Amino acid sequence: MAEIKGFLETSFVDWPGKICSVLFLPHCNFRCPYCHNHPLVFSPEQYSSISLKDILNRIQPFKDWIDGVCLTGGEPTLHRDLPFLIEEIRRNGFMVKLDTNGSNPEMLEKLIEARLVDFVSMDVKAPLDPFSYRRSAGLPIDLNSILRSIDILKRGMVEYEFRMTVVPALHRKEDISTLANQLRSGRRLVLQNFNPENPLDPSFKEIPPYDPKVLKEMEREVQGMI
Amino acid sequence: MSALIEMKVEEARPTGVRQGLTEEIETTDMALFVRTSDEAMNDWDRQRIVDALIRETYVDLDTAKEIAREVEDLIATSKIRMITAPLIRELVDTKLVERGLEQARKMHTRLGMPLYDVDQLILHPNKENANVPHGPEATNLTLAERIKKEYALLSVFSQEIADAHMRGDLHLHDLGFVDRPYCSGQSLEYIKRFGLSLPNSIAMAKPAKHPEVLLAHMVKFAAALQSHFAGAIGWDSVNLFFAPYLVGMSDRELEQLAQMMIFEFSQQAVARGGQAIFTDLNLYWEVPKHFEDVPAIGPKGEFTGKTYSEYMEESQRFAWALFNVYLEGDGSGRPFFFPKPLVHITEKFFQTPGHADFLDHICEVASEKGNTYFVFDRGETAKISECCRLSFKLEQTDLEDARQPWKMRYCALQNVTLNLPRIAYLSKGDDTQLFSKITEFVEMAVRAHLEKKLFIEKLLSLGEKGPLALLAMDRDGSPYLRMHRATFLIGMVGLNELVQIHTGQEMHQSRQAFKFGLKVIAHMKLLTEKFGQRYGMRFVLEQTPAESTAYRFAKLDLRYHSPKSGHIVKGDISRGEVYYTNSTYLNNSAVLNPIERVRQEGLFHPLIEGGALTHIWLGEARPSKSSLANFVIKTFRQSQNDQIAFSPEFTTCNLCNRTSRGLRTSCAYCGSKDVDGITRITGYFTKISSWNKGKIGELRNRYRNDAFLEQREEGIVLKAG
Ligand code: SF4
Ligand SMILES: [Zn+2]
Repeated sequence: MAEIKGFLETSFVDWPGKICSVLFLPHCNFRCPYCHNHPLVFSPEQYSSISLKDILNRIQPFKDWIDGVCLTGGEPTLHRDLPFLIEEIRRNGFMVKLDTNGSNPEMLEKLIEARLVDFVSMDVKAPLDPFSYRRSAGLPIDLNSILRSIDILKRGMVEYEFRMTVVPALHRKEDISTLANQLRSGRRLVLQNFNPENPLDPSFKEIPPYDPKVLKEMEREVQGMI
Repeated sequence: MSALIEMKVEEARPTGVRQGLTEEIETTDMALFVRTSDEAMNDWDRQRIVDALIRETYVDLDTAKEIAREVEDLIATSKIRMITAPLIRELVDTKLVERGLEQARKMHTRLGMPLYDVDQLILHPNKENANVPHGPEATNLTLAERIKKEYALLSVFSQEIADAHMRGDLHLHDLGFVDRPYCSGQSLEYIKRFGLSLPNSIAMAKPAKHPEVLLAHMVKFAAALQSHFAGAIGWDSVNLFFAPYLVGMSDRELEQLAQMMIFEFSQQAVARGGQAIFTDLNLYWEVPKHFEDVPAIGPKGEFTGKTYSEYMEESQRFAWALFNVYLEGDGSGRPFFFPKPLVHITEKFFQTPGHADFLDHICEVASEKGNTYFVFDRGETAKISECCRLSFKLEQTDLEDARQPWKMRYCALQNVTLNLPRIAYLSKGDDTQLFSKITEFVEMAVRAHLEKKLFIEKLLSLGEKGPLALLAMDRDGSPYLRMHRATFLIGMVGLNELVQIHTGQEMHQSRQAFKFGLKVIAHMKLLTEKFGQRYGMRFVLEQTPAESTAYRFAKLDLRYHSPKSGHIVKGDISRGEVYYTNSTYLNNSAVLNPIERVRQEGLFHPLIEGGALTHIWLGEARPSKSSLANFVIKTFRQSQNDQIAFSPEFTTCNLCNRTSRGLRTSCAYCGSKDVDGITRITGYFTKISSWNKGKIGELRNRYRNDAFLEQREEGIVLKAG
């Protein structure tokens, strides 16, 4: 089964409106220069694995409080047996949220159709053109997969949001509105500030993030666009 | 005080004088000039020593004369070049000691500080209380406090209690404010009805006509109260009692008023010693049950003819506006440190329309700025939380007072904290010893309260001409301070360490250890009730705001109970950053998720009526407001916890003035290293650079809900990330 490399018992951050536990799955097919989970993602051997059973035992006593489990990474959909992992979690009475970069629409569709996930948060990296995407994801990306994932989510079979980490060196204000225009998802597009602590590409450490007020303003703007 | 105490003796005309001294030692007209407190010069006069001894002590005239002569001889024969009044007094005291007149020596004691200490004080900031900025006004405060503290220990409290304080068995809080009660809670109704008419003040203001004027009265009155109390000034149902003044105001106007209120209270840094007024605003979304049918007071202090339930809309809009202001923060986006908003969550809250949106709103403030305190009043019994220390169920007489809310004035007279780990060291693992020592300690605290009460009553008995005129003022048939409703707080530090010493385990380490902690507190609660009956006073257990006490006790125990204490105190001994865990809290670094913390600490809350609060440290994370709302609702429904607050951490830049999330060594925006960390110290936000060493030790150990679980051989362990 997919190895779990990190576990946060309670989070108020990862699932809007819910109290959730967070499981970190290793490996990723992207190389975003600002990725700050990278040790966990790219050198998971440094971390011991945690068995799902132990985790479920640990959170069972808090079932009245913890609404669900958020699967994040890395990129969880890289793990073929992800559905089994999710089924096991659901059997224990927890809802499931998936964080994905949208590179595996097949898995995404499968999970949604089997009603295995209750919420999907898809990271969008840049305006939807190969050049911009490549710059932000650090590798050439098959944009078709991304577009298909977006379509799947927009069918509305599951609750979802698009999440964009805004990095001053990569994204200008126009880029954000371009993306918002392409997504046409209103309030479901949320902006997240870049955290310069420990990025994959060390030169990103020097980049000052946007002022939160400015970012909030941008978010309000793009959420207002239909 | 006698003239002699304040005198400075100086040599005048140096050469001639010394000659006179040696030649005419038998005479009383030594050519010394004595500078008195009113900055006049007096001649040396031996008789002054005699006068002082007769006036201040019980020694007989002959002894006094003898002593005076001996002291004069001593001065004359010694080659002292400069003589000061304190020295004369000390010389007299040695003569009293030689004669075994211990009682007289104590009565004749001089209070004051060494030159070196004053020098240090003026040059360096005060680390004992982070709420005090450093500056001339602050050092004035400290100087005065030092003398009043000595006065308190010599003259207000019995030797036994004073010694217990010095040893660190217990801590008498705010000794430097010994001539004031501790904290006060009231509603706006008093000033709405009676206007602002303070004793000894020339200006008298009639009841306010306009909301801005009411606010001005509130701020003035709070400042006046603050100079009569040592601790917090709390206001009940602020938004509701403002409401009759707010009819017809636009959202913009309301927000302006809200802004004025918060700015006024956060900027009262010109108050006592440059401290902000420690203000609590109690806020309700609903109209509290006990005020529903109460006739409302409006402009000019007149009854509007309506009841408060008819002002729900204005009350709610004002509460909303206040949180808009908190959300914005100050000019550079920092959270307002004061006033603290306490929102009461009750059954009725959930039945009141709009509560879900309001909860989201105040949770957004909690997430972004951390200001919101969530106070849980469960069940049907009405509760009142007048200030952070005082929250209690309303009794029948209070409910009658609630019909005339201006009568609802409550105070805590004093705050005494027990050093629980000390009890455990002393009882050496023996249960019977432990519980009888606890009884002994609680009894000491009770005695300290009796002594303080006596003293305050003495001051109050001087009435409107006395030092506590404001509290003696009588506008409605009883003095402002209603002694019969006063509370006497008994706090504790280091329950966790008591349990650790006694059972070998900290409270988070086993169920048994935790249960033992509960048993200790239950025992203490029982004792307070017994003593309460015996003396007809309200003794209440409280969670001490122990910022310096936890440090002081740990330091003293390192001195008196080594080597054992070396394994027990928390923090870093080599850096001197030591502390005990606050009150009944679990170890700060214990890896407990917020749910466990809220549930477990909450088990103590029914036993602790004063200031029970669980902190949830958020660190850098900026949570979703609706997730916090979810947590707040579950805490109300599924735990016994009385009060929670979420505490984020910030870094504010002194160069570009911007504020970022988390504690950083440099500014996230401009890279400047000139930054200050901001987070919550016990009860309020403050800059970390002003913390004392014990607190810094605790901050290092704080667990911030960002742990990773790792599989290890011995099973699952949580590691703070
Ligand atoms: S998608 Fe990018 S940010 Fe996310 S884990 Fe992969 S590399 Fe890191
Ligand atoms: Zn800066």
